Amino acid sequence: MKTVKADVLIVGGGGAGFRAAIASRQEGAETLLISKGPLARCGASPMAGADLTCHGVGMREAGFFGEPNDSEEKFLSDIVHQGCFLNDQVLAERFVQDGPSRMMETLDWGCQPYLCDERAIFTSGIGIVDAHLKEARRLGTRFMDDTAVLELMVQEGQVCGAIGLDLRSGERILIDCHAVILASGGWHKAYTPVTGSKELTGDGVAMAYRAGAEVANMEFVTFACNVPLWPPIWRGSIVTYAMSLMCGGTLENADGERFLDRFDPEMVEIASTTEWNKSFFSFATALEVRAGRGTEHGGVYYVKGDTPWPEFEAKALRSYPDWKVKGADFSELGRRLRDGEGVEVAGAAEYFEGGVWVDERFASTLPGLYAAGECAVSLFGANRVAAATMEMLVTGAIAGKEAADFARTHPSASPHPTTARVLDDKITKPLRNRERVDVGQLRSDLQKAAASYLGPVRCERELVDFVRSLERMQQEVLPVLGASHEGQIYNKAWIECLELENMLTVLELSARSALQRTESRGVHYREDHPFSDNDQWLREIHLSLDRGERRSAVHPVRQGSLPLPSGRIPYLTMIHDMMRSHSDVGGHH
Amino acid sequence: MSDTVRFRVHRGLSRSEGEEGFQDFEVPLVRGMSVMDGLDYIYDHLDGSLAYYDHAACNQGICQRCLIQINGATGLMCQTLVTGDLTLEPLSTQPVERDLVTKWGRKSDG
Ligand SMILES: Cc1cc2nc3c(=O)[nH]c(=O)nc-3n(C[C@H](O)[C@H](O)[C@H](O)COP(=O)(O)OP(=O)(O)OC[C@H]3O[C@@H](n4cnc5c(N)ncnc54)[C@H](O)[C@@H]3O)c2cc1C
Ligand code: FES
Repeated sequence: MKTVKADVLIVGGGGAGFRAAIASRQEGAETLLISKGPLARCGASPMAGADLTCHGVGMREAGFFGEPNDSEEKFLSDIVHQGCFLNDQVLAERFVQDGPSRMMETLDWGCQPYLCDERAIFTSGIGIVDAHLKEARRLGTRFMDDTAVLELMVQEGQVCGAIGLDLRSGERILIDCHAVILASGGWHKAYTPVTGSKELTGDGVAMAYRAGAEVANMEFVTFACNVPLWPPIWRGSIVTYAMSLMCGGTLENADGERFLDRFDPEMVEIASTTEWNKSFFSFATALEVRAGRGTEHGGVYYVKGDTPWPEFEAKALRSYPDWKVKGADFSELGRRLRDGEGVEVAGAAEYFEGGVWVDERFASTLPGLYAAGECAVSLFGANRVAAATMEMLVTGAIAGKEAADFARTHPSASPHPTTARVLDDKITKPLRNRERVDVGQLRSDLQKAAASYLGPVRCERELVDFVRSLERMQQEVLPVLGASHEGQIYNKAWIECLELENMLTVLELSARSALQRTESRGVHYREDHPFSDNDQWLREIHLSLDRGERRSAVHPVRQGSLPLPSGRIPYLTMIHDMMRSHSDVGGHH
Repeated sequence: MSDTVRFRVHRGLSRSEGEEGFQDFEVPLVRGMSVMDGLDYIYDHLDGSLAYYDHAACNQGICQRCLIQINGATGLMCQTLVTGDLTLEPLSTQPVERDLVTKWGRKSDG
């Protein structure tokens, strides 16, 4: 097995990983970044629209019109209301404070904005990651791509290394290091349609949990609304999501009814013009589908609605000249909308609020292990409206500095060769197992189950069944799971066997948390508990593994300057209150 | 009975010329499916050992890593619509790793 050494290992080649590498190098740490996919062309980061948010005064400092009447306090208050008060307010304060610096350096490093509003610049995810990759490279970060880190190694209670797999050659790699930063993103591939790129399988969160770190808020998943389901070539694109925010349009169920008319018009208006759209429209869509008013492929129709076509088209073409979206051609979509035909759409998993629990240094409960970006617990609480692309930069910068500091002051012993052999044995097991289970079919069944039982609307009966079936797969299928052939070079079935364990873990953690949270809040709606219970549930659910035993603990959210609400309130009333308490600052956030 | 199309796919650990380097698969034709969707069908239902760039595929024309030769022309697997029979070969300008996977896009040596 090849061995590589570094002070700090960063797992993930998206925005959080690159920004962490920059900070780690600035502290002088030898920094190795390993990415499962191609650098800056995988994960969620390059797929993002993307917006970068900060308060209106920070926007002015960065040279945009911003909003002189805005303040850190107002932005924080809006973020915490949008998060339905489940935010760690200390982390949310850091987000608000550090935003302007992260925005200015991103522009300095060459990222170009094409639009702005009071609290955001709009650019592309590719623009953001390319600028950060270039800077991380300039500062001397070492990189490995198409390589998955699969297990963490712990000695004397501290992280001392990790094992990786070169996905193209099949070679295993031992990484000997003093601190690890997980920046491995979410588990989009555990759902269908997949919106992020296909390597996002919750590896970081699952390996942290196996190594003993606590995870939290796993029940919260944000679904981007209005994501096309059909035809297959459009599945998982966010083109109609972005279009609905920019150009208008509305939703119809299979009976042709404009079902949004059944909701409070003020809520629909706020959701149509801000990034509240994700949670609210995905929720409304899921209710229709569950009530049996869904389309053939399990969604609703996105139609242009009452907007006159020339106006709709002009707005669409401003962002998507010639109906081209990056490398994809959507002229057929334009034709359909013009002719009054609908496009089948539904909510699709886009952002995972849950993840590795971290303190204000972005350290996990396991010494030497840090987390940043989407794989860390979100500072947005139960629902995200402000930019995750800014969150990845703010959290990456802190985690990078802190991990480098830890590596300097707490050098660990080299990982023990016996531990490396045991883990290597585990990784290569699917090549030796005789039972050649059809892993593609298993994964596709799992994706469908996750989309129906852990979507925007949940209930006890389904969650209990789902947890049971996940546990059954963990106990009966995983130990005998074998790839369809033994070759090590680009063996997709082998990779999928390894990913399946991680997807089962994160879905199980998510389903168990969703079951335990007997209320509805933010993006978590329980049909059988349609109330936000501020007296009982302004708490985080933390899960961990202690010598093979599953542990669950409930902790009050960390409060900062904003007092917590009280009382048990119907879900939609709570959401409406949260929407309405927005400060007097305009824009989409 | 649903329509099917024939996918003639390059197999092997190095570039092979001639008929014997290819394998044929019958894939149900769904309107609006991409070449990638067809390969997913083969992998899920017919042959789990098929190698094509997929482990970090974006499926949206963004990463540009799914480039191969489609009926002789360079194209993205995820953005090329299937309308009839196809011959799929690895990108002609890159060394082959296996089947349709080439070294295209790899920056580090692992
Ligand atoms: C389609 C889409 C559109 C979005 N649009 C927006 C938007 O407009 N605005 C916004 O604010 N947010 C948006 N988001 C969310 C936002 O993009 C993400 O939250 C953010 O980019 C996450 O950054 P990250 O660096 O933490 O993770 P990612 O960008 O997902 O990167 C994760 C990295 O980890 C790597 N990795 C995973 N597992 C392993 C492993 N085992 N070993 C090694 N590496 C591993 C991956 O290959 C990847 O390089 C969007 C998300 C999606 C999916
Ligand atoms: S998979 Fe990314 S461009 Fe085709």
